[in-house]
Amino acid sequence: MNVSSLTIAFTLAWRNLWRNYRRTLIMLLAIGLGVWAMVFMTAMMRGMVDGMLKDGIRALPGHVQIHHPNYLDDPSVANSIAEPQGTLLDALNHPQVDAWAMRVKVPAVISSERETRGVMLLGVDAAAELNLSFDISHITQGQFLPSLTEEELAVDVQAQKAAKGIVIGVKLAQKLETRLGKRIVVMTQDIDNTIVDRGFRIVGLYQSDIPGFEEMYVYSDRRLIQSMVGLKGQVSEIAINGDGYRDNQALLSHIANASPADMKVESWRQVDAYLSAMLEMMDGFVLVWIVVIFLALSFGLMNTLIMAVFERVREIGLMQALGMRSSGVMRMILIESLLLLLLGLAAGNICSLLSIAAIQDGIDVTAVAEGMAMFGAKAVLYPVLQYSDMLLANVVVIVLGLLTSLYPAWRAAHYDPIVALNKH
Amino acid sequence: MIKVTCRKLRKTFVQGETQIKGLDDVSLSIEKGEFVCLSGPSGSGKTTLLNALGGLHTPDEGTIEIDGDVISQMGASELADLRLRRIGFVFQSYNLIPVLSAQENVEFVMQIQGVDSQERDQRAKAILKEVGLEGMETRLPAELSGGQQQRVAVARALVSEPALILADEPTANLDSATAENLMQLLENLNRKHQVTLVLATHDTRIMGFARRQIRMQDGKIISDEISSGSQHALRGGDPLTASHQEQDF
Amino acid sequence: MNIELRLAWRNLWRHKKRTWITVAAMVFSNVLLVLMLSLQLGSYQMMIDNALGLFSGQIQIQHQDYLENPKFRDDIVHPQGLVNTLKQATDLETISSRGVTFALVSSASRSYGVQVVGVEPQSEPLVSTIPGLIIEGRYLQASSSKQNEDPVAEVVLGKVLARNLKVGLGDELTLLGSGRDGSFAAGVATVVGIFNSSLPALDRTMIQLPLDYFQHLFASENRASYVVLNTPTPLELTQLNATIAELLAQQRPDESLQVRDWDALQPGIRQAIQADLSSAAFMYGVLILLVAFSVMNTQLMSVLERTREFGTMMALGLKPWRLVKLIFLETTMMATLGMLLGAILGAMLTQYYHVVGFYYPGMEEMAAKFNLPERFYPDVTWFATFIGPIFVMIASIIAAIYPALKIRKLDPISAMRAV
Repeated sequence: MNVSSLTIAFTLAWRNLWRNYRRTLIMLLAIGLGVWAMVFMTAMMRGMVDGMLKDGIRALPGHVQIHHPNYLDDPSVANSIAEPQGTLLDALNHPQVDAWAMRVKVPAVISSERETRGVMLLGVDAAAELNLSFDISHITQGQFLPSLTEEELAVDVQAQKAAKGIVIGVKLAQKLETRLGKRIVVMTQDIDNTIVDRGFRIVGLYQSDIPGFEEMYVYSDRRLIQSMVGLKGQVSEIAINGDGYRDNQALLSHIANASPADMKVESWRQVDAYLSAMLEMMDGFVLVWIVVIFLALSFGLMNTLIMAVFERVREIGLMQALGMRSSGVMRMILIESLLLLLLGLAAGNICSLLSIAAIQDGIDVTAVAEGMAMFGAKAVLYPVLQYSDMLLANVVVIVLGLLTSLYPAWRAAHYDPIVALNKH
Repeated sequence: MIKVTCRKLRKTFVQGETQIKGLDDVSLSIEKGEFVCLSGPSGSGKTTLLNALGGLHTPDEGTIEIDGDVISQMGASELADLRLRRIGFVFQSYNLIPVLSAQENVEFVMQIQGVDSQERDQRAKAILKEVGLEGMETRLPAELSGGQQQRVAVARALVSEPALILADEPTANLDSATAENLMQLLENLNRKHQVTLVLATHDTRIMGFARRQIRMQDGKIISDEISSGSQHALRGGDPLTASHQEQDF
Repeated sequence: MNIELRLAWRNLWRHKKRTWITVAAMVFSNVLLVLMLSLQLGSYQMMIDNALGLFSGQIQIQHQDYLENPKFRDDIVHPQGLVNTLKQATDLETISSRGVTFALVSSASRSYGVQVVGVEPQSEPLVSTIPGLIIEGRYLQASSSKQNEDPVAEVVLGKVLARNLKVGLGDELTLLGSGRDGSFAAGVATVVGIFNSSLPALDRTMIQLPLDYFQHLFASENRASYVVLNTPTPLELTQLNATIAELLAQQRPDESLQVRDWDALQPGIRQAIQADLSSAAFMYGVLILLVAFSVMNTQLMSVLERTREFGTMMALGLKPWRLVKLIFLETTMMATLGMLLGAILGAMLTQYYHVVGFYYPGMEEMAAKFNLPERFYPDVTWFATFIGPIFVMIASIIAAIYPALKIRKLDPISAMRAV
């Protein structure tokens, strides 16, 4: 093979491609549509799973979480861990950790004057929680819990009052038929299995875009809850975020190495099997989808090339008679196929980028919001284009496309030149 | 020095139930620079012989030597190389690659050979001028007349300076005047370049251009004569300058 | 066979390979469509059956505000009377009433806030599968009919809740909550059974006790939160809804009662189905379009390579529309072949999975979330087998319009000259 024979192969391939421009355009349309569907659909599915994961991780404690070994099975105050100290505290304040917070998290029953509901009571440090998971813009009325130092809490009467506040979801408030500023009673079990109850004033109402979240979680000050349930220096969980949810192996081992033996350090993947399975299934789905679409395309591609070869039998015979080797003929057909694939890919990629850009603000699927909620997804779908998926689609189309073209190319290369030349 | 030698060639085709003898014990040698005409009715074996010489057919029996190399034993890619470097072809019709211009068609073989683009351009232009197609380099085959197309084919066959040019009924689709012009061109080129030319035809108008006449029938050579002088001066004049205005639509 | 059909059929096989490849494109898409659709429809049916059959039932009769905001006070008076009326009017026995509230339940070592459901032990098994999912002990039993006796204080609860509360059969649970009148409600009940619904939300948060005990405990005598009704035909509820609505309007005009079918009770199911169907529709649409492009290309080739032949036929006096008809006949034949082969192979593949079960990695977690079995056994149905292939066939025939239009533009003279 030399440069000039490659040049002539390209020239021939390119010009041959446009000899029957209608056929080529139809094929380009098909490849373009296929590639668009591959990339666009994948981006939508990725977007859905991404949204689920982000919400899921927000609803869960964090990318990495520390619990008492029995806590996830039995989320009771009895299964608590010590507040972080020493090496663990150092590890948490390490730059590898984006944010962390500790919480007391206990099941409780909340009652207004009229209604009663079961909830999860979170005792949090306002500042840390805002940093980690709570979006302050979700507060629709009142405010989030105040951030108070120990000193303020010790001396300031106003602060003591403020600390007795509770923040609940808007929907929960509706169900309880209560509102901002009203008192509610929270009943739970302390460390000695005694039922304890305490009155709180509602200082803030929040809304969540995570389905079911705002009916489930109520926030109050960690120290208040610790004293209420009798947990001194103990919390239910420590939640840690790194720089991304996908790959958290490094963060996991960083924290695990610093934790005392009686604490269990897990990533969200271990905690939520459904989400983790969804994420893994997505990778499989993306590949299957891309290959299925390619296969649907491949029949057309094969036919187009077979026809292209069939129409040019005499000319191919001529080239062989003139001294072009079979490998040269094959190369020529493969290049023709490659050019077709590349053009189709370019069209498909451009269309998918444009259409993804066009719906960057999300597609509203509120009509099926509760259905999406059943899958754990939101009412607004955002496309998330992963370039690796796009690359995969392109590689699959080129590699499998060339494999598909091997047969027509091989056929072309193995015509008997005499028979080919005499064909009419 | 002997350029092409065939010994006891046999080739049988099976068509349906009947066997057709394409070549039946053909032996032949052709000297360098000879202008040979193979003639005979269709089915006489002349095209088969031509194709065998070009390495397109492998004979069932016998050997073909070109310049000492036994081509009947070569593999497909060796044969392709042989055709590429030492043999030029001119066919009856469908001689050119439709998507390439006249010059590109001429350059085609050189491109496969890997000749660099400057040299290609020079040689292609020169040879096109020689066959009288100056100024038509960029035309596509469809934009050329039949005679012009055959001239491009001749130019392409010549350009890589092959030892042997094989032409199979090159004038079959041309009118008399054009055919004659083409033959004069071939003859001149044969003289000028000392290229060996083997032509298969049953067109009696043009047989006379060759100095050696081989007649075939039923796959056998039935006569082999060398005429003393060329009879080409049917119309007179130099074909290289006289043949530009042909009209054969 | 008439001459046109025969001509079309023979033309089809002039390029055997090309025709087969085009048919193969149809078959490939059709098989996928049949299998995917069978799996989808099967899973929807299962989602409906499992999700509704487990607890919520297909129809509930509730106070009109209860659905939006299930308050204890928005309940039904004399539920037994309503149940009896309903039984008469609908000829169904599968009717039961329930009381629902929230309470704190405590064992010796643990307390949780849970949903407390008062059920009628005799008729509850007719509207819910939970009574059949008892893995330890037994389900609730009907109280003795003696008027003056206190109702039996027994309770069944979910597997996860039992584990969390650390209770077993025979242990006592304390219930703390508010009565209907806002009074303090407290009681002690014995665990007689533990159920495993496989749905974590239910297994973790629900306890059931006899309705009469519930009424006694929460000061809601002679009241129920809603009445559940099941029918053998959950997909055809319109008539039944109307009957019940009419009945309610006649018998209980002042109580603002409302019929809620499963679509209203669990809009998530229908929406999940819709969401799933619409993304599937996108995928199917792309597949079908790709087949259509294949057909368009094949038929275009077939028209272009016969330009000369068509020119001759037209010169002989054949009207262009006959040639157009020929192209459509050819396409229809090819498409029918693709449809039949695709439907048959698709149905065979579905039948294969019907026998061995369909599984893909990650399905267990999905199945657990939607309370579905871990393997899928899709049924072969006429609908799922033919709807996709018929769409492919229609799309293929539509795709032949462009090549067919080429014929109408043919001019016999230049066509005959074409190579």
